[in-house]
Amino acid sequence: MISVEFEKIYDDNYPKVMRLCMGYCNGNEPQAKDLAQDVFVKVWDNLKTFRKDSSISTWIYRITVNTCLVHIREAKKLKFSKKLPIDLESKFEIVKENQENRFQQLYKCINKLTADNKAIILLELEGLQQKEIAEVMGLKHEAVRVRIHRIKKELTKCVKQ
Amino acid sequence: MKNFEDIKAQWENQGDIKPPVNGIETIINKTNALKNGQRITNSVLSVTAGLLIIFFFYVKAYLEVKATIALSLMILVIFIRIALEIISLNTLKHINFAEDNQRFKNRLLRYYKKRLRTHYIFTPIILLFYIVGFVMLMPYFKMSLSKGFYTYIQISGCVIISVGLFLLFKVIKKELLSIKQLMN
Repeated sequence: MISVEFEKIYDDNYPKVMRLCMGYCNGNEPQAKDLAQDVFVKVWDNLKTFRKDSSISTWIYRITVNTCLVHIREAKKLKFSKKLPIDLESKFEIVKENQENRFQQLYKCINKLTADNKAIILLELEGLQQKEIAEVMGLKHEAVRVRIHRIKKELTKCVKQ
Repeated sequence: MKNFEDIKAQWENQGDIKPPVNGIETIINKTNALKNGQRITNSVLSVTAGLLIIFFFYVKAYLEVKATIALSLMILVIFIRIALEIISLNTLKHINFAEDNQRFKNRLLRYYKKRLRTHYIFTPIILLFYIVGFVMLMPYFKMSLSKGFYTYIQISGCVIISVGLFLLFKVIKKELLSIKQLMN
């Protein structure tokens, strides 16, 4: 029987997980979907061990970042998706081409970063507090703060090119 | 995009991402399939073990000391290799994905280093013992098999060993790359 708890967790967290996976998969939607599915298989499998010493979303972010780390290790060169993420295509027809290029450039720049920096900036883009990012990454708050500042500059410079 | 805030705004504007229909059922089915897969692997290994033991007695290998040693050696090293693989897979399965990223990375790194040691030390020894066992059996094959079949055994044996060496080389290369990426 599917637990109501898991159903809620799935519905609440799927978009966050999916966006993170898209970042790891160069915007390749089918690959990101498979990856998101793997994340939730682990969530389902480990839900009983969740000790509530952190929020459920932090816990899920940890699983996502670690699953994506294993994935980038296994994946061969990822191809850029020519499609816009999810529903964007239908919603913004007029600016479609422009948006496509921007997202491709953004994903390209994100994927130039090291595994740690990629995770940090994707979590920052998701709007996580620096303290929470430090908790997911297992780094000190101060170290995360300094790194975010550096990665922001690096990413902005790359996207502008 | 002029600054990071623009990038963030664009990121937040990705639109509605909805979970796939039947997404939960797919996840539960996949979890069950993974568990069934493990059960199937265990069953296949048990059947293989049974068949090898039956074969051992069927061909009365125990009547010839040299043949007994050769066949036992080959069976033993196959089982050691399988056991090492099962232990390794179980270790990977028990790595906690909910740990913070640095701890997870360190565990993963330790796991790959251990695997590399297996590939560098144990696998070549296992392969060597397998070859020794195979060579020891050759005179028995020559005595009891037709010339054509004996040639076939010789050629296929060489092919299997070459493929084994090639795969070993590929795996070592892949796992060295994994370690390099994790240390980055």
